Amino acid sequence: MPQTIYVSPRSVGAHDTRPPAVVTTDLARLFAGSPALAGVSLQVTAGRTIALLGPNGAGKTTLMRILATAIRPSYGSAAVDGIDLGRDADRVRERVAYLSHATGLYDDLTARENLAFAATLLGTPDRDARVERALSDVGLLERSTDRVRDFSAGMRKRLALGRILLGGASLVLLDEPLAALDEDGMELIEALLGAWREVGVTVLIASHATERLDPFLDGRVVLERGLVADVSGDGVSSTPPTLPATARPAVVAR
Amino acid sequence: MALAIARKDALAELRGRHAAVSTLFFAAVVLLLFGFALGPDAQLLADAAPGLLWLALVFAGVLAVNRLHLLETDDGALEQLALYPITRRAIYAGKAVGGFVVMLVLGLIVLSAVGILFAVDVVGALLPLLATVVLGAVGIAAVGTFYAGVTVRLRAREVMLPLLMLPVLAPLLLGAVKATAAALSGDPFGELGAWLQLLVAYDVVMLVAGAATYGYLLED
Repeated sequence: MPQTIYVSPRSVGAHDTRPPAVVTTDLARLFAGSPALAGVSLQVTAGRTIALLGPNGAGKTTLMRILATAIRPSYGSAAVDGIDLGRDADRVRERVAYLSHATGLYDDLTARENLAFAATLLGTPDRDARVERALSDVGLLERSTDRVRDFSAGMRKRLALGRILLGGASLVLLDEPLAALDEDGMELIEALLGAWREVGVTVLIASHATERLDPFLDGRVVLERGLVADVSGDGVSSTPPTLPATARPAVVAR
Repeated sequence: MALAIARKDALAELRGRHAAVSTLFFAAVVLLLFGFALGPDAQLLADAAPGLLWLALVFAGVLAVNRLHLLETDDGALEQLALYPITRRAIYAGKAVGGFVVMLVLGLIVLSAVGILFAVDVVGALLPLLATVVLGAVGIAAVGTFYAGVTVRLRAREVMLPLLMLPVLAPLLLGAVKATAAALSGDPFGELGAWLQLLVAYDVVMLVAGAATYGYLLED
């Protein structure tokens, strides 16, 4: 694995002129009538690395999927780099990269073919060279011609991280990034966090526990039962839901 | 972008041979079973050939578009596809082009098989038959891509897809069977052009409707 990881600085400008990377207002999402998010209002400063903490079912993944435009909120609004998700999801997709529990890779394609396909859809310049570099950065160059079907969970996650390196995202969302990774994989995540910080990319990390990543974190948000329970550190702030608690279920349910 | 998606589908299909083997086998079985059911009367088989050709293609088409969309169920691939900064129309077009190529290849093979099994003169009416197969393949791919997108996340997709798709394909089936019959009989009543026009109109309507609405299927 090379010492420095190549991260495109495409979407990142000067820190003091950038709008907040993430602003959510009363964000809520129902699944089968139950609120997974019940009114989250957050503001994340651009260029910071923030952990989303909380137990299973707290709403971490739901918040990430809304910010990635994978699902729509049932209520409330969200903006990435000042761009409203509801009004201009296409522009938001240019700025957001998302590592979810599922890797989104094609089993019958090789590692290189998967990344080449992603680079084409991402509009990555110098496609072949960047794919080569990304494969090298995530330590999969020697397995680049193997089908993904034969990869372990950790290798699939590395390859999905390589896909993120092909785009010019200004906001990276990592959902349980350390899961399934060995020691080398965890060092890769640490190297990535360092590289993203250097070019001013904002990173949100959803996790049960982040001790390993503590040195890289600027702030922490604790979610519980779909609401913000605590905020600490720099680069993130929260305001209480603007709706009274008694009114919230009725609004959320509409 | 659409071509990149179609190329990816083709590559995965060549590796996995998901759609090709199952649809070809299925189309062959449908042809043979209908042939057995109709008996050894050569004239009856020749008269029924246009209908059998298109029934086999429509049934196999349901399988083909379903298999092409199943590629996107690999470890959250469909959600990832929707997160790329590309238009929803490009995703629909990419999947539809993949479906069209599979249907076209299938159509040419099944057309040849019908010519051999049911002793009809395919070569004598090759151009109008090719036009009918191309237009039919476009229509099946256009409709199938949309409905495969509707059902891909459902557990009962194998049941739901034909239930949703086949009624919508009825006008295509009618037009394609009539056009094929007219082409094989030398078009004595001059109706071939009208049936081909119906197929063109059907394809345009279905492509426009599919491209306009497919994006909603990708959202949760």
